[in-house]
Amino acid sequence: MDLFGQYVVNGLMLGTVYALVAVGFTLFFGVLDVIKFSHGDVLMVGAFTGFTAASGAAALGFSHPLAQLAATVVFALAGTAALGAAIARWLILPLKSAPRLNILLATLMLGTALRESVRLFYPDGSNPKAFPALLPTSSWQWGQFTLRADSSILVVTGVLVIVGLHLLINRTRLGLAIRAVAQDEETARTMGINYTLIVLVTFALGSSIAAVAGVMNGLYYNEINFGMGLLLGLIGFSAAIIGGLGNLYGAILGGFLFAALQMIGAVAMPFASAYKDVFAFAVVIALMAWKPTGLIPERASDRV
Amino acid sequence: MDAAIEISGLHAAYDKADVLIDVSLTVAPGTITCLLGSNGAGKTTLIRAILGLTPPRAGSVKVFGAEVTGEATHRVIARGVACIPEGRRMFPKLTVAENLRLGAYQEPSEAEIKRRLAEVYDTFPRLAERRNQLAGTMSGGEQAMVSIGRGLMGKPRLLIVDEPSLGLSPLYVKENFRIIEGIRARGITVFLVEQNVHQTLAIADAGYVLSGGRVVAGGTAAELKSNAEFHAAYFG
Repeated sequence: MDLFGQYVVNGLMLGTVYALVAVGFTLFFGVLDVIKFSHGDVLMVGAFTGFTAASGAAALGFSHPLAQLAATVVFALAGTAALGAAIARWLILPLKSAPRLNILLATLMLGTALRESVRLFYPDGSNPKAFPALLPTSSWQWGQFTLRADSSILVVTGVLVIVGLHLLINRTRLGLAIRAVAQDEETARTMGINYTLIVLVTFALGSSIAAVAGVMNGLYYNEINFGMGLLLGLIGFSAAIIGGLGNLYGAILGGFLFAALQMIGAVAMPFASAYKDVFAFAVVIALMAWKPTGLIPERASDRV
Repeated sequence: MDAAIEISGLHAAYDKADVLIDVSLTVAPGTITCLLGSNGAGKTTLIRAILGLTPPRAGSVKVFGAEVTGEATHRVIARGVACIPEGRRMFPKLTVAENLRLGAYQEPSEAEIKRRLAEVYDTFPRLAERRNQLAGTMSGGEQAMVSIGRGLMGKPRLLIVDEPSLGLSPLYVKENFRIIEGIRARGITVFLVEQNVHQTLAIADAGYVLSGGRVVAGGTAAELKSNAEFHAAYFG
């Protein structure tokens, strides 16, 4: 029971991280019909930016963890928002009329460039960095089951970000414009929507949500490395695909589903837990064969 | 008073094919001015050039006296222009109310948007009943109402209407032309692009005929009706 509880908390935490990555893929696909393969590496850049900000705040004498956390979040979000918008402005929009595969390849290469740049140019970038524990380390005890405050805060934060995104997309003027652009770019322009601005804002938004996932990941495992975006990006993309690409709620569902598969692979299967990713990806492949358009295919009501 | 639209020497092309050749025309404010022409004459390209969706190769487009050639579409719209596009172009997965709100996208005041919504619902009571329905699930005639309502939500000075009668039953076509006359009565200039010659000339003040990418005739509606060139272009 004790162990099961821990796995559930761990699964929820990972599911939230994956969902946050997956919604980015879905947002980008929604507004521009493109797959941006550098997304995982943008997440990694976000984690490193946050890490640098935390170290910088500590060096400047802000010893309180909350001050360091604030610096981490602000710089990670702002940095990735700028990076995401820049990628859209100077890489993806210029390639808009090129074949989709070219954009996929270009962003794949950009991701590699980002990854290698951090490895080569960040001080001692090829080694993992110890991400500071900035959240309270207290915990609650119920019989055998221990709930750590930091895990709870991370899960709640992630869920709040997802709810906030849902409200932004469905209840605000910006969200309406994003949905309009996703459905029909040209008519959206004719309504007086500044198309380029909406695309840049969407990429900034999706990228900073990925940074939230990157920082969460760093706080949870207390470690980041230059290659962390590779697997997280692939998992986020898989989650978006099995949920139904272009569908926000499908991406969220896909993220939690992938985490559940990993947990099942780690706990309930008769093989070693190291095979959990093999199991999860194998199930994803089977799911894609069974439902090629995703569990929640793009329906009347719900593109982005 | 400046012309609502003043186009001079406009050339547009897709790849190598010329679509518009030296087009010049003027839409006087407060009028319904029509642009007649058969399929492939270049009518939709002309609208796209005005709206900045297809930048022209050469020539100039002025809207209310301001040069808009090469301007981004949202800036052209900001000058008081709205468009009811060909085929209605609903956002099928948005509700009727959301579609209408997009028509007033550049209006910052929520109170003003609500006032305009009420006005549209007043004109089309059917849309009020269906405000929360997805636009894609409505009939062609109802979508035409959404499209017209959406065009009016921007409170334009100039409304460009592209083939409003396309694909509609004769009853709705008649209703549409009546509504367009009503729009002029509210002081909005209408640039009406149509294939339906007789019904269009019945409500238009002036018009042009586009054939093979060139303006082959122009004048008042009465002149056009009796113009030999016009008949040649149309009935060949």
